[in-house]
Amino acid sequence: MSQLQPLIQLQQAAEPPLDVQEMRFWLDKAVAWGQADTQKDTTLHLSRLRDFLQQLLTHINNMSSTTDTMKTLPLLGQFLGRLCWNPYVTADAAGRRLLFQCLWGLYSEHPGNAVERKANQWIRKVLCQLATEEDDDPAQALMKQMGVPPKEYHLKVLTKMVALLQENIGKSCSSLCNINQRCSCDNILATSEACVPLVTCPEAAPLIGALLQQPVTCVRAALSEDFLDALSSAYSSQCLSLEEQAVVSLWYHNLSSLEEAVLSLLESALTNSRSIPQKQLEQSLLPKACAQHCSIFLVVNDIFRSILKQAEGKESVKCFIRTFTSCFLRELALQQHQTSVSLKAMFPQSPQSLLLPLLTRPSEMPREAWRRHLNWLSGSLQRLTEEEEEGEEGDGGNSSSTRFARYRRVFEAWFLLVQCAHWVQVAVQLLVTSEPEDCGPLLWLLIFYHHPTNRGHHRARQLVHGKEAWDHLRSLFLASARPLPVDRLQSLVALLSPQSQQPSLSPSLTLNLLVHFAVFLQQSPSASTDILQTVVDRSGLVDEAECVLSSLELRLDEDNCLSSDTGRVHLRIQALQNTLTRMHAASNCADN
Amino acid sequence: MEAVLKNVASTTELLSVAALSGEVQRWDKQTLSRAFQWARYCEHLFSRFHNNPAIRMLMEKQLQLTNQSLRAAFAECIEVSFTDLSRCQHLLLVGLLKNPELPISIMKILFDTASPVNTQQSECQDVTGFCSHIIQCKSACKVLSPLADLSAVGADAEVQAAMLMERLDALLSQGSEACRTEHILDSVLRGFEGAAGHFCLVIAAALLTKKNSAAQCASQDFLLDWLQKEQSVLQHMCSALPATLIIDLTKGHLKFRDAYCDLLKKWASDMEYSISEGEWVQPRRNRTVSFNRLTEHFLGLFETCPSLREDVIKELNDLKMSDGDFDVRGLSVWGDLLSAVNT
Repeated sequence: MSQLQPLIQLQQAAEPPLDVQEMRFWLDKAVAWGQADTQKDTTLHLSRLRDFLQQLLTHINNMSSTTDTMKTLPLLGQFLGRLCWNPYVTADAAGRRLLFQCLWGLYSEHPGNAVERKANQWIRKVLCQLATEEDDDPAQALMKQMGVPPKEYHLKVLTKMVALLQENIGKSCSSLCNINQRCSCDNILATSEACVPLVTCPEAAPLIGALLQQPVTCVRAALSEDFLDALSSAYSSQCLSLEEQAVVSLWYHNLSSLEEAVLSLLESALTNSRSIPQKQLEQSLLPKACAQHCSIFLVVNDIFRSILKQAEGKESVKCFIRTFTSCFLRELALQQHQTSVSLKAMFPQSPQSLLLPLLTRPSEMPREAWRRHLNWLSGSLQRLTEEEEEGEEGDGGNSSSTRFARYRRVFEAWFLLVQCAHWVQVAVQLLVTSEPEDCGPLLWLLIFYHHPTNRGHHRARQLVHGKEAWDHLRSLFLASARPLPVDRLQSLVALLSPQSQQPSLSPSLTLNLLVHFAVFLQQSPSASTDILQTVVDRSGLVDEAECVLSSLELRLDEDNCLSSDTGRVHLRIQALQNTLTRMHAASNCADN
Repeated sequence: MEAVLKNVASTTELLSVAALSGEVQRWDKQTLSRAFQWARYCEHLFSRFHNNPAIRMLMEKQLQLTNQSLRAAFAECIEVSFTDLSRCQHLLLVGLLKNPELPISIMKILFDTASPVNTQQSECQDVTGFCSHIIQCKSACKVLSPLADLSAVGADAEVQAAMLMERLDALLSQGSEACRTEHILDSVLRGFEGAAGHFCLVIAAALLTKKNSAAQCASQDFLLDWLQKEQSVLQHMCSALPATLIIDLTKGHLKFRDAYCDLLKKWASDMEYSISEGEWVQPRRNRTVSFNRLTEHFLGLFETCPSLREDVIKELNDLKMSDGDFDVRGLSVWGDLLSAVNT
């Protein structure tokens, strides 16, 4: 309660005075609810009632004494009293909490007059009655005779009700029934409405799960909108206790809870800059949910698209999307025997000719075929971008919609490439061992990945820069002279720093190349380590380098790339990781 | 055993202290938690030993002694019987909440409604929100109960039936005397005074629960025997329960079927022909079923148990013949029944 005080003082200036009219409105509502069968009306108003109770609470806490509160709101006691006996309000955790807090707010530690003394007595009495009185005399007598405590009895009855209702839900009707006929699915809407105040009740979780997961075979088997809204808000305040499959069904039914889940996963994965998203994704339910429901995957991808457009090529976002997609594909493979959704349905906007070639994992084809495959990919993508550019330069008769369509095609192709970026990594790996004449297509692919748009036709110059960087790295790593040439190292460091002049090569592109050179080039480990250590140290990209290494290791593990030098490669990665960890520790010490 | 008895004595004293003395003003969260721990301990003792007559007797003696000394100390002490131990936490709670000296901070702990994720792992988690949880349960039950047709008897009747059967199982398995068990059933019946219809639902639910062991079958058997003796309950059941339930009961228990059949015949034999109403009616003081309804009962019974049909028709025929074998309406209830049943 004390935590509210400073906040209230802040709000006091802005808070509008509590409307007596509004009080009257809600009191009339409370009276009406006490009389007839008013379930629908109560659940309809539940969230607004909570807001009003919050306002009341603020008002009560603002007043210096209960006497003052009663002066400003004489109907308050009546109102709260009626709400106490409304099970829809008391079953809901938030409603109950606010109600009790209002009551505590009216309790006076040191009552100054008869009004306050009476209020105190009344509050104690109401709470005692709520917690201990039984209105079912026969049941109470039976409890005493059978030696069952009331708490246990009520819990048992609730559990039994939930179980019986769950059974009822399971009996769905045949789908092609006459619209005018009654069917057993009518009760699904009614049950979901009744469950609106119960979304935070852990004992009702099995029933809510069953409601969410029942197959929608009948027109009448719809869930109440209020129910879905209540679930969504409980989900965002983390008060929901549902099992996994029920959560997946919630995402399927309710867009806002799905969006929330995706955004919070992204946030937790991206704020942790040191580790790659793999761990979080393995623990998350989202990839599995996407595999079960195509529609969920489509929504998730739309969210990714908009994040990508805003993130302006941030490598961590791209890395996340790649990891998510591969987790998703793994889950999909596990599900295949149950659903046979075509890839086209999962990736409807991607250029179909690129779909299968990009989704195929490197481990699914022989190593010797990689270069040819990548050359083909690079060529296809190049053609796509050229089409778009030609269209741009064409006559003004081209409508903006077709230009937009061509732009879309390029974007979708690039998005698919981001989702399947393992091929980009393979390209980098192959670049390390390429001859200068073979670099072209691979470099193009790499540059396209990092710079999808060709604003001002910079790509040609970027290709040149890329080749230069490659040459640079190659000669550095192949050089046998020791100590390492300082100027060459320095120019490499310069490449890795963010450059002001356009067009620059993305530092992450260069870093990627650097790490791959260090791992795959068959030079002495110590030389490679030295070069990496020096460059990374001077450019301050330790974290990023560690990320690249971890990603590489993961990709090699996932793809089970067995070759003659797998062992050597892993040892090399290990050594480099150790070096980077030491550097990281050293810099931490230096900071502290 | 001595230690256990001492603990029971202390907890009994604790209940009176909690309810009646100003001591509670000094209670804090830890004290509260410990009090409820002791109460839970007594509940546990009850469940362990309530089927053990020897230990039960020892405890009852101890409780008597403690109650005596409490009477000396407090004007209106809380007298605790052995069966009260089963609901010790509830007694403690009631006492505390009714005690005007209870600090409001303690009440706040009991009624705390924090969201499940936010509750920290405090050592007094058992008492935090104790009352809030009870209220949530009770309210949730009220919210869900209007969803009609949950089951033929209703969730609360099913739970009550389960409680009853558990008790019967325990009593019979420890070889209690039949009259003691009957006495308990009688007192249960009295507890349902004014809610006879609900009691019928409970008995029906008890008889319809699937039994897995021989001991559980014995309990149902015992219940059926008791029903035979307690004709008023049987009558009420057969007249008030929905037809589907009665059919399930006749299918499930031979004894019930026979008792039901006998009851129908008794109802018929008590009927007199009323010229003013043009119909067979039961005597004024005991009108529970009409002739039409009686016919429906018979028809339902025959449909469920075709083997019974022949025997009963034969019986009705014999009775009709003993009445003179007239085919005129209004002279023999058996004749009219037969014609109603045969159409």
